[in-house]
Amino acid sequence: MSLNAKRWLEEIRKLPLARRVRIMNVCGGHERAITMAGLRGALPSNIELIPGPGCPVCICPEEDVYEAIQLALHEDITLVAFGDMLRVPVNVPKREVRSLEQAKAAGADIRPIASPIEAVRLAQAQPQRTVVFFAAGFETTTAPVAAMLQESVPGNLLLLLSGRLTWPAVAALLDSGQVAFDALVAPGHVSTVMGPEEWNFVVEKHHIPAAVAGFTPVSLLAAIYSTLRQLLEGKRFLDNCYPEVVRPGGNASARAQLAATMDVVDANWRGVGVIPQSGFALKPRFAAHDARLRFPSYADASRRRAGQMPAGCQCADVVLGKIYPNECRIYGNACTPRHPIGPCMVSDEGACRIWWSAGTRTSKVAHA
Amino acid sequence: MCLGIPMQVKEINGFMARCEAGGVEREVSLFMLAENTVQAGDYVIVHVGYAIQKITAQEARSAWELYDDMLRLDGELADETPMVPIGQLLRDNGGR
Repeated sequence: MSLNAKRWLEEIRKLPLARRVRIMNVCGGHERAITMAGLRGALPSNIELIPGPGCPVCICPEEDVYEAIQLALHEDITLVAFGDMLRVPVNVPKREVRSLEQAKAAGADIRPIASPIEAVRLAQAQPQRTVVFFAAGFETTTAPVAAMLQESVPGNLLLLLSGRLTWPAVAALLDSGQVAFDALVAPGHVSTVMGPEEWNFVVEKHHIPAAVAGFTPVSLLAAIYSTLRQLLEGKRFLDNCYPEVVRPGGNASARAQLAATMDVVDANWRGVGVIPQSGFALKPRFAAHDARLRFPSYADASRRRAGQMPAGCQCADVVLGKIYPNECRIYGNACTPRHPIGPCMVSDEGACRIWWSAGTRTSKVAHA
Repeated sequence: MCLGIPMQVKEINGFMARCEAGGVEREVSLFMLAENTVQAGDYVIVHVGYAIQKITAQEARSAWELYDDMLRLDGELADETPMVPIGQLLRDNGGR
């Protein structure tokens, strides 16, 4: 850790915090940086850093993953998806295919990709074959998909779009009153694309201190310090502790591309439910590229636990910041990266996977 | 998929750029940036193969240092199926 980070820690330790302070982050990248840098252990024990809804893979609707699996199994298509979607389990009886990885093993044409560019290249390379791009992700991933659509998209490339916006989830959390946090560390790269102004509501409507942070310990500690100072001094404002990258208004051309290709709609979050105005949907002019319109729906409302987190799994509570990963009963015993039960242990951005990788191996409540 | 990786622009060809980080080169789209925002030698943050913002050399360097630390941690503590470290991720999958 650099001297700068040490100095920030010293400044934070000097603050006269009389009580417990809960600071939420809503970005898998933040959680990863906080955990890997060991910030929780370095900060005073009355400062809690809570991972919130920051993992797009974790909250990707179960029914969308099911739909992708069924399309790949039953239609004559190539399905492409970001790599960490492949192991996400859906809720089906034991004998049935429960992930894209299993569907691939069963012979379905499924390929992991790392960029929308690869989806375009693949579609161009086999113009006679339909390619379906299962595009899940937050704004930072959905904006590149919008750029792909705006630039040019081959006729045989369809989208199964599961894009989500992060701020409406935080708004829903605050409106529900279920999850109490005292301050927010706002996501750096979401703000880079969409503009930091999106997070003003946290300060203005809920009077909660907030600061946008980057992904270094220095930037995260600066954001934590800023929100603590705001709390202590009774001031509230949205601070920007990642100013080199996050600029007012965000990335204007990226936002214009999103606005030109997608509408914002009410959308379901796995284990959470429908959150108003939290999802991206293709504009009507892209109807010919919409896999949901091209293919019959494979939705099966009779499936047990459709839309929910896996049975026995407390990912829903982890995603909402109600519990820490190691407060889940199955963490580290039934659920490990090798045999993940819930999506939070599957994705590189899932809080459970991050905590496991940083060395937390057992549940605090395993035999409770 | 949400991890941004700082890369240096080596060569620009239309909307596509050849970018480099940690000795690994990738093709990156500049389509999300306003025209003429970056030149060869500049640094950008890359998300799923798209540059989302221009950054300074210093910002790129401090992020790379952090990622190197993470790689080391991951290597020490990894189980049989380790979480994919960021540098490895770039090597395997291109600029995500």
